[in-house]
Amino acid sequence: MSLCQNRLQEERKQWRKDHPFGFYARPQKNAQGVLDLKVWECGIPGKEKTIWEGGLFKLVVTFPDEYPTKPPKCKFVPPLFHPNVYPSGTVCLSILNEEEAWKPAITIKQILLGVQDLLNDPNPESPAQAEAYNMFKKDRAQYERRVKQIVRENAAP
Amino acid sequence: MADAAMEQLPLPTSLAEVEALIRALYQPNPPETISKIQEVLHRLQRSPEGWQLAQSLISHREDNIRFYAALTLIIKLNRDTAGLGEDDAKGLLENLIGWVIQSLADGAANFVIKKLCTALVTYFMHFSHLWPNCIRHFIYCLDLGHGAPIDSLDDALGTDILVTKLDRQKLRLATWFAASLVEEVGKTDMTAPKFVQVHGRLVKNGSDVVCLLARGFSPPPDSPELKIQGEALSCFQVWILYAQRASPNPELVAPLRQLVGAAINCFADEDLFQPTAELFTDALGNYSSFFTDEHYDTLAALFESPWAAERYQRIIHGNHHEEGISFGLLMLAYGDAKVQDLMHSTDSRSQGFLVRLSGLLAADGYLVGDDTIFVPALEFWSTFIETMIDTTYSDEEAARDWRPYAEQHLKAVVMKCWCKIQWPPAEIFAEWDSTERVAFGDARKDVTDMLQSVFTLEGTSLVSFFAGLFLQALAAQSWAELEASAFCLGALSDCISDEATYDHELSKIFASPFFDLLGQAQGPIPLRLRQTGLALIERYCEYFERNAQYLPNALNLLFAAVGDSVLGGPSARSISTLCSSCRSILTGEAGAFIRHYQTIRSSQVLDSLAEERIVLSIASIIQAIQDETQTLGMFEELYTILKRDFELAVQLKAEPSLLNLQNPDFLRGLDPPNPQSIPPTEEIALQIALRSMRCLSSMAKGMQDVKEYLVDIDSEPQSQSANSRLVGLQENIMRVLVEVQRVFNTSGEVVEIICNIFRAGFSETQPGPFVFPPEVVTDYFVQQQFETPRVGTLLSTACSFVGSLYRGPKVYVPAQLTRLLPWVISILQTLPEPEADTEISLNGITFVDKLMSKYPDVLFQPHHAPLVEFFFLFSIKVLDGTEPLPKGAAAEFWANFITLKPPNPALQQTVSSAMNHLGPLLAASLVRNIGGHAARSELDKLCEPLKKLVTTRPEAQAWLQSSLLASPVGGDAGAALPFPGAERVGVEERVGFVKRVVG
Repeated sequence: MSLCQNRLQEERKQWRKDHPFGFYARPQKNAQGVLDLKVWECGIPGKEKTIWEGGLFKLVVTFPDEYPTKPPKCKFVPPLFHPNVYPSGTVCLSILNEEEAWKPAITIKQILLGVQDLLNDPNPESPAQAEAYNMFKKDRAQYERRVKQIVRENAAP
Repeated sequence: MADAAMEQLPLPTSLAEVEALIRALYQPNPPETISKIQEVLHRLQRSPEGWQLAQSLISHREDNIRFYAALTLIIKLNRDTAGLGEDDAKGLLENLIGWVIQSLADGAANFVIKKLCTALVTYFMHFSHLWPNCIRHFIYCLDLGHGAPIDSLDDALGTDILVTKLDRQKLRLATWFAASLVEEVGKTDMTAPKFVQVHGRLVKNGSDVVCLLARGFSPPPDSPELKIQGEALSCFQVWILYAQRASPNPELVAPLRQLVGAAINCFADEDLFQPTAELFTDALGNYSSFFTDEHYDTLAALFESPWAAERYQRIIHGNHHEEGISFGLLMLAYGDAKVQDLMHSTDSRSQGFLVRLSGLLAADGYLVGDDTIFVPALEFWSTFIETMIDTTYSDEEAARDWRPYAEQHLKAVVMKCWCKIQWPPAEIFAEWDSTERVAFGDARKDVTDMLQSVFTLEGTSLVSFFAGLFLQALAAQSWAELEASAFCLGALSDCISDEATYDHELSKIFASPFFDLLGQAQGPIPLRLRQTGLALIERYCEYFERNAQYLPNALNLLFAAVGDSVLGGPSARSISTLCSSCRSILTGEAGAFIRHYQTIRSSQVLDSLAEERIVLSIASIIQAIQDETQTLGMFEELYTILKRDFELAVQLKAEPSLLNLQNPDFLRGLDPPNPQSIPPTEEIALQIALRSMRCLSSMAKGMQDVKEYLVDIDSEPQSQSANSRLVGLQENIMRVLVEVQRVFNTSGEVVEIICNIFRAGFSETQPGPFVFPPEVVTDYFVQQQFETPRVGTLLSTACSFVGSLYRGPKVYVPAQLTRLLPWVISILQTLPEPEADTEISLNGITFVDKLMSKYPDVLFQPHHAPLVEFFFLFSIKVLDGTEPLPKGAAAEFWANFITLKPPNPALQQTVSSAMNHLGPLLAASLVRNIGGHAARSELDKLCEPLKKLVTTRPEAQAWLQSSLLASPVGGDAGAALPFPGAERVGVEERVGFVKRVVG
């Protein structure tokens, strides 16, 4: 089995053993019902005591063949209103960038927790969409109203 | 005080003072005192006198002082041994070993002795070449009772004999050392040149460690109260872990394997059960190839013993919190390691073991608070099923033998999971904390995953199985069982929903009296079951598409639940899913649904999100009506309801005294629905408007066509045969939108929603109420001022509008672009500075870029010249700025502009002369950015215009060179440097850089 597949098996095992509260993460199934370890469907809950609390946001994590040398790609589906999420839904986060802070030792759990942290703690240095970035900078009250609306539309069951 | 805290203590001058300081360090003291003491002791440790200090204190009667001496030794070994000659180093080792043995002899505390072992390990890390057989040598010295020269080891007895001469105390000490050795060396990188040989020598100690541990597992009879098998087990565990990292390494693995039997024997000792189970669970889980067939046989026999049967019963019926689940985890680890063999073997031992593993899914107590073995057991079974799927498809022939057996287990697993996921009675659930509730839900999700895998193997029979359980539970009115059956059927919906093959089974469910019961408002069905029942309808919406006879009943059920505070949200979602996908079947119901909606509205205030979903549902049905007149009639009916809200909002804003909070129409303006204090009337008016605006936006989404049509972009516009009723409706909608925006002119949300309504129409190719004529959209845009809230969003919507124009007939396009361009640029011109609003700058630049890509002639119309000139300079300023998003768009714009090749020669001339004029400015900006002004992450985008410039413009070299060589004007240092830090880069390097870029 390739390094990528091996590592993903292990990640899956670790995730099943221990995963953070309110999250989910599982490989998608292909048409025959067989698991495709390289595409995971994940859910990121908004952190308690933040404006994101109560929301559950679907994230698709796609692992390249070179994983874990190269980082996976994380994409919110549908794209999320957030300063560090590209209009396509792709998340812009240093630990997911091969040229920045990605390290092969970073686990799926750490990635998902990192994305959860990012929700309420955007990084204005790396904007990825103008709408949320601009509103975050210029009109925080409206930004928060908008986030709360999004949380309602994506309420955790 | 602050100064005093910063002051350093003087170095102590006598041993007594040092001892006093060490004692003070371990006593309760304020943090600043502690850190001062630590600092002075650190200085002392690092001074050349450190060695002597350690030596003087190592035999001290107080353990804390001895511990400190050991610590000092470690620090000295790590810092000050580089210059040590070989003889000195050997002497040091003798001393170190002597001190360890002495400490053991005079009863030093364990933590002191362990720290000294660490000092020995540190010595090995630095001097492994002098001490390659460290374990054997240490055992030899222990036997002698003092440190001996390394060379004298040649005459010593074999290690297997030496260990027999050690008492339990000494064996334990040697075991500590062996464990610490492998742990510490294991932390270093095996492949780093610095450590390769250290690891090589460590491995060579493996056989001595095995002699030591073998003795540790059957120690001499002296002092039987001192149990050392536990130490042997944990030492064995770390060596296995290391062997795995070092694998393949037969030199190490082969001797270690000899210990497995002795370790298995430890299971029998009640005190050792826990560490033994941990060792085996860990090694089976992480390094299953460590064990041989013989080992596996021994373990399998163990699992069949009466001892194991008793342990197993304690897992099934015992208290998991008090007794733990180690034995269960051990069984599962064994199962995981042997999953292939267990699946293929049809012998009674394997089959019996699998039966017991499925039994772990049926331990006493509720998930997850009482029963903690279910989740790990389910994990094993998921692996088992996945292995079955893989193997079945790869070798179908061979599968014939074992598959019937495996399927029996699957049946048991499915049945047990079905029992386990049943909700507890409400009073028990109420006692659970939030973690337990979430964990219960998670376990159900895991069961869903498992069932989907089973479906891959079993197909219809699994559906029939749950349908059977469903009907049985219904007949018995066993609600928890019924709920679990409905939940499991729901879990399979992803696999079967779009295939008619299973409809026969599903019809048994959907034609059952269950759904009649569900419809009774005061019926017997508990809330949880109602939720699952309604969710089941949503999950099988494709079934209803094929079996329309059940659809009205299902929708009636859902509509009836819309007003419920718990069920309302999910029901509205189900309604929108069903209506959207079954729209063409439901067209006849549009009128009834509108009336349903009206009735609910008149009696209560719905959750706003639920209401949006219902409006969307109805609109999607209206969209599917074939007859245009009828469509518009229904549309108008629904729209009129919302329109009244807008009118009410506008009136209320003008006349606050109209407010009547007894009337649901006004109550709609309360957000949240039950506020602590009544908000100002103006706010209520705004909320009424916003709420209905969102509904209108949902209508626009619902009216989107699900079919795709081809568009001939070269076609002539249809000779205005547009339905006059449609035109009237569109005018009405536009009037309302504009009016709401005028009245609530400070609300950004109103503008945002208007943009969403437009966007919904942009993607449509067939006429519809929200597919406004292009000139109407343009009219709207050009009336918006810079002061309009969310003008950046308006610009981004204008970009989408251009995209939709490009997808439609060409003939409409130039006129709209000609009107929009001055508007977009006027907004940019109003910006106090280019970076004042990222969204405006970004979307303004994107708009012009988009326009230029297809209609450069519009951009360069003579009367646009001043605008275009402004825009060029604006975009260069943005390129010079620090906002990543508009900067990236500006770089893209310039890359496109440089390569722009308009078909018409006059236009080519215009573009070329513009480039001659702007080239030097652009070059200067690129030089500044690439020279260090831009962030690393921006360089990729900024290189595009540079590449294009160099490859398409012969003047590029001159432009770049003169930009690079530009000097600060009038000696004004800093301000006008061509790039950051230019003062440190010479002329030759600058010229060389240009050559490399251009060449």
